[in-house]
Amino acid sequence: MESLQIPPVDLRLLTPLLIVVGWAGALLLIDVFFVPDGRKKITGYLAIAGLAVAGLAGIPLWNLSGSTFSGMLVLDRYSLALTWIFLIAGALSIAVALDYLPRHAIEQGEYYPLIMFAVGGMILMAQSADLITLFLGIELLSITLYILTGFAYPRVASEEAGMKYLVLGAFAAGFFVYGIALIFGATGATSLAGIAAYLGRQPFAPQEETLFLAGASLVLIGFSFKIALVPFHMWTPDVYEGSPTPVAAFMSVGTKGAALAALLRVTLALEEAQTFWLPILAVLAAATMILGNLGALGQSNLKRMLAYSSIGHAGYILLGIMVAAERGAEAFLFYILAYTLTNLGAFGVLIALEQRGEAAWSIDDFAGLYQRRPLLAVAMALFMFSLAGVPPTAGFMGKFFIFTAAYAGGLGWLVLIGVLTSAIAAYYYLRVVVKMFMQEPVREVRPELTRGLNTEILIAGVATLILGLLPTPIVLLVERSLVALGG
Amino acid sequence: MATVIQIIFGLIAALIVGAAVMVVTVRNVIHAALWLIACFFGVGALYLLLEAEFLAVVQVLVYVGAISILILFAIMLTRQVTGEGVRQLVGGWRLWLTAAISALLFAVAIVPTVISHSWNVPAPPAPPGTPEPLAGVAELGRAFVYEFLLQFQVAGVLLTVALIGAIVIAFEERARRRRVLTLAEEHELRKRLAHPPPVEAPAGEPAPAPRATPISEGEVQQ
Repeated sequence: MESLQIPPVDLRLLTPLLIVVGWAGALLLIDVFFVPDGRKKITGYLAIAGLAVAGLAGIPLWNLSGSTFSGMLVLDRYSLALTWIFLIAGALSIAVALDYLPRHAIEQGEYYPLIMFAVGGMILMAQSADLITLFLGIELLSITLYILTGFAYPRVASEEAGMKYLVLGAFAAGFFVYGIALIFGATGATSLAGIAAYLGRQPFAPQEETLFLAGASLVLIGFSFKIALVPFHMWTPDVYEGSPTPVAAFMSVGTKGAALAALLRVTLALEEAQTFWLPILAVLAAATMILGNLGALGQSNLKRMLAYSSIGHAGYILLGIMVAAERGAEAFLFYILAYTLTNLGAFGVLIALEQRGEAAWSIDDFAGLYQRRPLLAVAMALFMFSLAGVPPTAGFMGKFFIFTAAYAGGLGWLVLIGVLTSAIAAYYYLRVVVKMFMQEPVREVRPELTRGLNTEILIAGVATLILGLLPTPIVLLVERSLVALGG
Repeated sequence: MATVIQIIFGLIAALIVGAAVMVVTVRNVIHAALWLIACFFGVGALYLLLEAEFLAVVQVLVYVGAISILILFAIMLTRQVTGEGVRQLVGGWRLWLTAAISALLFAVAIVPTVISHSWNVPAPPAPPGTPEPLAGVAELGRAFVYEFLLQFQVAGVLLTVALIGAIVIAFEERARRRRVLTLAEEHELRKRLAHPPPVEAPAGEPAPAPRATPISEGEVQQ
């Protein structure tokens, strides 16, 4: 029996990922054996602690870059910055769930480790430089989300949402894998570097690369589904509405962020194929911006409105990806950060208004919120302004960076669509603000603010303001983070 | 040795053909699905006989493990649960016509292959330079712990998560558990609904309402 050689592996590069996944596994056991029923919050706090440790463990890696596992995983500042954003999103989603789950009688300790596994999948997506690893990351994230969507199973809507998401997601996964197989058949490689090398051996001629292009298109469909780009967005409003609100919050920033981040890396790596890739992305972006925002116009259910608005935002972010080689990647990172914080904050307010057995998602329930809970109303107004892109909020700076980068990259017509749709979007965001401040309450809604929720809304609100008022330090950080990407 | 192989092949082939015949002749759909599993197993054994261990394992894993379960689930979710009393859609001359068309289509695919294949000719030696064919399971296992170590591990995490999810969603506290009928109970219930027992209520009193039986949500609407 010949001895097996284990390939040289640099586990340092995976520190945050290993901590998150390892701690999630350990937490599952701790939750079962040591945390008594009814005190599952302890598990939640431990999960947040684990995410924090993973974040701190990432700091010494800032000056490190490299790849391991035969080049399937890379660590650079880009992936590290994304890792931190994902950790923040995970921690905030856990914070809002601490009191939400018991209030809705769906408390199970597994919620918190599952969120951690999802964060692990997202980090894997940000770090992977290989299509197979990328696929596994997507699936780890997706399967966790299918479970979390159906987590509130006493509610039929949650079960239905979980089922819908599972069936459609399985389809999308099929497209993605088929695409990878075709690309492998055409190029003989699954690593992004290998594919780029194959494409770079001669000038790119689309008519000679049919197999590769078919594969790339299928992969793009898989991506579009995860990001919820029009026309692959149909599942989004239903799934967001049906799933428990903390999960919807996590999904709206997590899945999108991770899938977009992976798409950016793929786009950058396959520079040769850009003549084929970019026009498709442009059409997708335009359709997403227009239909996402138009769809949000007619919604009177705030949860659905936020779902449509998240579709629209994906369109803006896509602009950053298309010009990633120029300053787009920086704008992309800044926008993701701003959008994550703002959206989590907005969902936090929604959770505060939601009570057991009765969902206060109708826009009328926000009427007169200012008189009852002035601070909550101000926070919600801040998030709405930020989503709409009104200065001085994070959303404004994000849109500003994205649009300038896209304009400089020669995407003038898309910028025009972006600005116009932002104006449309302002209508439905500001409608909420008007309701809150200028109208009398229609019916009694008793917002419940608990410690975890308060902290989450506070963090999100303050961060939204700081990003808007003093973006310079973050921008500098973001710029540095892209040195290693070669962007 | 060759005779033993021949005998084993004969047995397996008989199993496959027999099971396949049963699939299309039994009336109960679930039984048909079970016969299909037997058929898949036979094909797996055939692969093993041809020294294609990897293919055999995959056949069992994918077809027996996954696809037949999927078929069973599809039957459970779409048909009346037991499939009892379900007739085949076509009968009489239409059945024979369907069989003839299927046989014809299959023949179109298989006959030219059988005829044009030159039997009993050893395969030509591969030209030098062709890569070694995959040795099979051993090679795959080595790749899993060497080249694809990471993917192997992540797949493990993924399956763990899926298992946890199944438990989280399907396992309910005893007190909250919904009453799900066993197949036998369901049979009984359906029989009772189809032939209501004679009402023994004394005259003058209204007949008792049908006893409320706890019915799972997955129960078929009658």
